[in-house]
Amino acid sequence: MMNWGHEKGQVLLHRMIGLGFFFFVLILILVGRLFYLQILQGEKYLLLAEKNRLSTRLTMPSRGYIYDRNGIILVENAKTFQAIFIREQADDYKKTLSNFLRLIPLDEDEVSRIETELKFKRAFIPVRLKDNLTPDEMITLQLNMPDLPGIQIEEGMIRLYPAGKGNTSVLGYVSLLTDKDVAGDKSNPLLDLPGYRIGRIGIEKSMEDTLKGTPGKRQSEVNAFGRTVRVLSETPAVAGQDLTLTIDSRLQNFATRLLGQYAASAIVINVNTGEILTFVSTPTYDNNLFTLPISHKNWNTLLNDPHRPLQNKALTGLYSPGSIFKLVVGLAGLESGVIQPNKKINCTGKTKLGNQLFHCWKHYGHGPLTFEEAIMHSCDVYFYEVAQKIKPEKIIETARKLGFGAPVGIGISGEQEGLLPTPEWKKAKHKEGWRMGDNLNLSIGQGYLMATPIQIATAVARIASGKNVHPTLFKDKAGKTPEPLPFHPAYLKLLRDGMYDVVNKQGGTAFTSRFNYNGNRMAGKTATTQVRRISLQEREKGVIAQEDLPEKYRDHAIFAAFTPTDKPRYAAVVFVEHGGGGSKTAAPLMRDLLQKVLELEEPKP
Amino acid sequence: MSFFKNHTGYLKDYNLSFADKIYRFNYLYLFFICLVVGMGITILYSVAGGNFSPWAFKQTLRFFMSLGALFFISFINLRLLIKYAYWFYAFALILLVLVSAIGHIGMGAQRWLNLGFFVLQPSELMKIALILALARYFHGASLEEIRSIKYIIPPSLMMLIPVAFILDQPDLGTAMMLVFATGAIFYLAGVQLWKFGVLISAVLLSFPIIWSFLHAYQKRRVLTFLNPENDPTGAGYHITQSKITLGSGGLFGKGFLSGTQSRLNFIPENQTDFILTALCEEFGFAGALVLLILYTIIIVYGFVIAHRSKNYFGKILALGLTVNFSLYVFINMGMVMGLIPVVGVPLPLMSYGGTAMLTLFIGFGMIENVHINREMTIGRRGGADGE
Repeated sequence: MMNWGHEKGQVLLHRMIGLGFFFFVLILILVGRLFYLQILQGEKYLLLAEKNRLSTRLTMPSRGYIYDRNGIILVENAKTFQAIFIREQADDYKKTLSNFLRLIPLDEDEVSRIETELKFKRAFIPVRLKDNLTPDEMITLQLNMPDLPGIQIEEGMIRLYPAGKGNTSVLGYVSLLTDKDVAGDKSNPLLDLPGYRIGRIGIEKSMEDTLKGTPGKRQSEVNAFGRTVRVLSETPAVAGQDLTLTIDSRLQNFATRLLGQYAASAIVINVNTGEILTFVSTPTYDNNLFTLPISHKNWNTLLNDPHRPLQNKALTGLYSPGSIFKLVVGLAGLESGVIQPNKKINCTGKTKLGNQLFHCWKHYGHGPLTFEEAIMHSCDVYFYEVAQKIKPEKIIETARKLGFGAPVGIGISGEQEGLLPTPEWKKAKHKEGWRMGDNLNLSIGQGYLMATPIQIATAVARIASGKNVHPTLFKDKAGKTPEPLPFHPAYLKLLRDGMYDVVNKQGGTAFTSRFNYNGNRMAGKTATTQVRRISLQEREKGVIAQEDLPEKYRDHAIFAAFTPTDKPRYAAVVFVEHGGGGSKTAAPLMRDLLQKVLELEEPKP
Repeated sequence: MSFFKNHTGYLKDYNLSFADKIYRFNYLYLFFICLVVGMGITILYSVAGGNFSPWAFKQTLRFFMSLGALFFISFINLRLLIKYAYWFYAFALILLVLVSAIGHIGMGAQRWLNLGFFVLQPSELMKIALILALARYFHGASLEEIRSIKYIIPPSLMMLIPVAFILDQPDLGTAMMLVFATGAIFYLAGVQLWKFGVLISAVLLSFPIIWSFLHAYQKRRVLTFLNPENDPTGAGYHITQSKITLGSGGLFGKGFLSGTQSRLNFIPENQTDFILTALCEEFGFAGALVLLILYTIIIVYGFVIAHRSKNYFGKILALGLTVNFSLYVFINMGMVMGLIPVVGVPLPLMSYGGTAMLTLFIGFGMIENVHINREMTIGRRGGADGE
């Protein structure tokens, strides 16, 4: 009997000690683990806990407004409502999304965009489901909120261009972000905001930094479900700066209507201040289309239009300036003494250079012409003769001073700089020396020479005012008194006189487009540039009438002008692609445009 | 009051008056237990955002109720425990089968019986019943018998039958605790170590079969435990957030009522199994250490009481119950700290929950009873020594 109890007790005591030791080890492990988590890793977990607790959300700044010179609103923000979706607030985000799509169907592209964003953006980043909710959609969503966990309706801002399509070429547009934008600038937290838009072209793009403002920040404490428990700190968003432009919205729309369906551009500059009153490129389009994501159909229509509405032709159209460049060559000739203004040069209709013939646009010639008459009639032969006596460098230098060969920098990015060909340039580019033929082509604004309408307008503004005008679209940059041009004023006056004759003297190339608006007349210079070569046979048979050619083979029509003629205030360019001829097409448009400019001119104080 | 009185025929040689029992009661042991309960109620108050509702107040009520049960159990005759051990076990088993049957009729997992005024979890009751039954069994066995394989089969079945039902519920945590507690008692009783070795090898070898019987959510928990970063928002969420909450407490914690993780619901249901995270967040390593020391004291008391008991039944009972209590501590803390997979085991005396508190106090009552009757000798068949 004793054996039954005693031995068992002995074993039990040993085993108790064993178990106790084992438990002791387990407790030590727990203490060690606590020490590891709380002391060694404590900092790290504290940080993670803070990250759990704090939610920082950006609030969208209001984008700056844009006004025209008369204070008319060109761009404003309209309040809209958008549906956004925060994935982490939904138990089953796919279910929420399908519920949403049942209520508000979206097209396939949008659905796939939303699905991609939901998958790849961090769970707490809101994803835009639909912008610009209609009142009906709002009510539908509100009523079905219980089925839509994670979806919220947020007040948003949408860009509105209320002043007409005529302003599109200046303003550009904003549009929603693409993956590329986000990838390109990971540091900009604004890019995570749903419905955030950035300027794509025009002023909206070039002035993005000024217009966009600074986002506000709201730091709040959230619980595990992402619901805000309390707001800890809030920095309000700072609205972007407003801009006042020099353009006149009325003129913009007038010029746009005037140019109609032509692929054309028109620019009007105040020659004393550099303010650009009109800056249009046609055909234009409604930039409001881009604010909502533009539909594929609309986008393709714009993209495939042969008149290229998406190109800002006034800024990026590269053309031969044609006869307008005779003003530059003339000035260079006068300055270098090659031209004596009153010495006549006889035009027989052609100039022979070696065994190459250079034709005047007038087949039988103009006869003997003074400099002023040569400008008036736009005689090619006169300038061929000048070209044979002048170095190309002199012409290029003059052209550069008038604004060719470099971006004018009116305030919109993407400007083309054109091309001023020099012997060095030709050698580098074509591995050929400069020939006299190149000089002759240059003298009538053809050949390698390329310029944009804004450069032509700048040159005319400088000739008209005699000052080194810098055209600009910004009211606050304009108005500084520009310094005089480094040319003899008398020579500039000669050019202006020639341009006066073009319009106001019988026989001038734009005589039919003359006007007298309260004593204000127009002076100008036509240009017609070929877009195809005229063959010798064709020249013999008689040149085919422009009307009989398919549109794409018709000549470009250019007219550069200023008004009034005595004390010029405005310089302008009308450039019509395939318009047929400068005097026939561009000059009458210019007449209407400049009369409108004078009509709308602010009354002088 | 018949329980406290002398049952003639049973207590010939050993007779304690009620006053003796009150005198012999281990108050310090109870004090440490109550200290832990107090800590638990404090944390429950904090987790509710500084409110007595919905948990702290109810837990206090349950504490007083459980305290009554503890005193009652402490003062009954120890021999009654041995006498009714098997009956109690049978009763618990019937309840377990009942719950299983109702569970199958109803939907999904069912672990409890609603008695109207009290929600009873038979699996909790079984923990005590099994230990009681095993204590009685080994009390009657000789060392030779314990060391024979044949004699080991009945107690193994005693454990395996309820474990089967509990796994069916399914409640992996409780089943594990029954297995471990039984294993510990076998070890204490003197079952040879090589038998454990053979058994463990057999289990490891049959692991693939066990794996196939596991529920999908149990498999996921094990897999998630092995790599919580795999699924940080789903099943791994609990472990990840649990570690963040624990760790962020640092040395002295964020202060009472200032735990951000706990207060902002980053730990779902943190009033029950994950209550340790709230303690660690608000009171830091220091607070957790105090708790662990208290637990250690309670465990050491259990061992000491068992050692001092003159009867084998009392020794095994006190040890079995203490082991059971320790298992709660180790499994819960291990899981909350990310050392073992998440299984549903509450932190003893801290977690919110009625049955666990009551069964723990019943267990402590039995340990107190063993302590009070430490001088008592009990014969092989349960009567007085020499009977």
